[in-house]
Amino acid sequence: MKNAIVLALTVYGLAAVISMFVAVLIKGLFIAVRRLSR
Amino acid sequence: MLSFNFLDLFQGITTLISSPPTILFGRLGLIFLGAVLLYLGKKGVLEPLLMIPMGLGMIAVNAGVLFLDPTTATHIVSGTAAGPDAAATQQLAAQAASGHLPGTLFMSPLVEKTDSLMYLMQVDFLQPIYTFAFSNGLIACFVFMGIGVLLDVGFVIARPFLSMFLALAAELGTVVTFPIAIALGLNPGEAASIAMVGGADGPMVLFTSLTLAKHLFVPITVVAYLYLGLTYGGYPYLIRLLVPAKLRGLKMPPKPMVKVTSDEKLAFSVVGCAVLCLLFPSAAPLFLSLFVGVAVRESGLKYFIAVIDGPILYGATMFLGLLLGVLCEASTILDPKVLLLLVLGIIALLLSGVGGLLGGYAAYFFSGRKINPVIGIAGVSCVPSTAKVAQKEVSNVSPDSLILPEALGANICGVITSAILTGIYITIIPLLGK
Repeated sequence: MKNAIVLALTVYGLAAVISMFVAVLIKGLFIAVRRLSR
Repeated sequence: MLSFNFLDLFQGITTLISSPPTILFGRLGLIFLGAVLLYLGKKGVLEPLLMIPMGLGMIAVNAGVLFLDPTTATHIVSGTAAGPDAAATQQLAAQAASGHLPGTLFMSPLVEKTDSLMYLMQVDFLQPIYTFAFSNGLIACFVFMGIGVLLDVGFVIARPFLSMFLALAAELGTVVTFPIAIALGLNPGEAASIAMVGGADGPMVLFTSLTLAKHLFVPITVVAYLYLGLTYGGYPYLIRLLVPAKLRGLKMPPKPMVKVTSDEKLAFSVVGCAVLCLLFPSAAPLFLSLFVGVAVRESGLKYFIAVIDGPILYGATMFLGLLLGVLCEASTILDPKVLLLLVLGIIALLLSGVGGLLGGYAAYFFSGRKINPVIGIAGVSCVPSTAKVAQKEVSNVSPDSLILPEALGANICGVITSAILTGIYITIIPLLGK
């Protein structure tokens, strides 16, 4: 049970890091494409 | 004079009365449930696109049971992976050889051996679609492609952090249900598959259960699609319970809408697909399907859009419903774990809804009480149902309050976070056994 909780927290932590990375990527890409197209 | 047993003419009835009580009542119960699903689909309480073919499939497969001819029956028994009980397998083989094994002419989902599969594809009319499109996840990918074509990622690009934060909060059920399922006796693969119901994304549940818990993918997928149909009816009550009317009617200050061009959306689909496939190759088919839909939409390929948005999406949805219904044959679905899966499925969806609303509250406080907390429920990625539910609940209290653009952003990010969680689960769980 303890292992399952640790695994669930690890999965959530990983998902949070990757999701926020994707968000940063979206924002960065948006700014980059906008600047390049000027 | 020719003599025969009169009941042999009507084998659906003969197999019904000669079966053990659990199967008899199971078949009758599933015929009734199929009729209820069909009725609720027609009335719009549940998703009609899925429920009407599914309900009719359930009725037909549980009514149309016959005694299979010895050759077909032997192929089914010998082609299925042997269970732990050798005596039971031997008894089944004897029953098959004598022509007394009940079965249907729809499909045999548990057959794995190639020779038997090739034989059954010439007998069972849905076997080719099941083997070539369902059991390898192709149908889930087709549905995902269709979702991609329907998505306007401009809402995500306009507010990526808020959308992603809400979507992440709305994955609470996907994460918390996992240890609960383990505590209730499921193995990690089964626990992760049922926990994915919290992501409220049918293709993801199908994909995860096919990868991690193939023996339980029928009941898990059926439970998932049944509950997904209920979110439209159930989540409004959750919103009213957790968000007071004063907050539900909160008008968000008008923010100039960021204009996102199709080139920017296309760039997002290219980079998003490459990065997510690099991170989770095991979920790459799903990522490709989603982003190819987005790319086709943003490239303006109108003939492709028409094909994906029409025949592919609706064809896949119809056959998905039909196959799910046909998979609900009493002898396949009456697993002792089904009741447990029903309970865990509802826990997962409920927790995800609660998590989404808690995320909405967090956004409300961090934004200086400007963001309507109801948006949080749209993080549950049932596109676009939960976004529409959020807007409807807000409009009921404050008719001129508009939250749909932000809600759709969270909704689309919900699809991405569900795909990320699918990727993590199907990558991590097999490593546990090593």
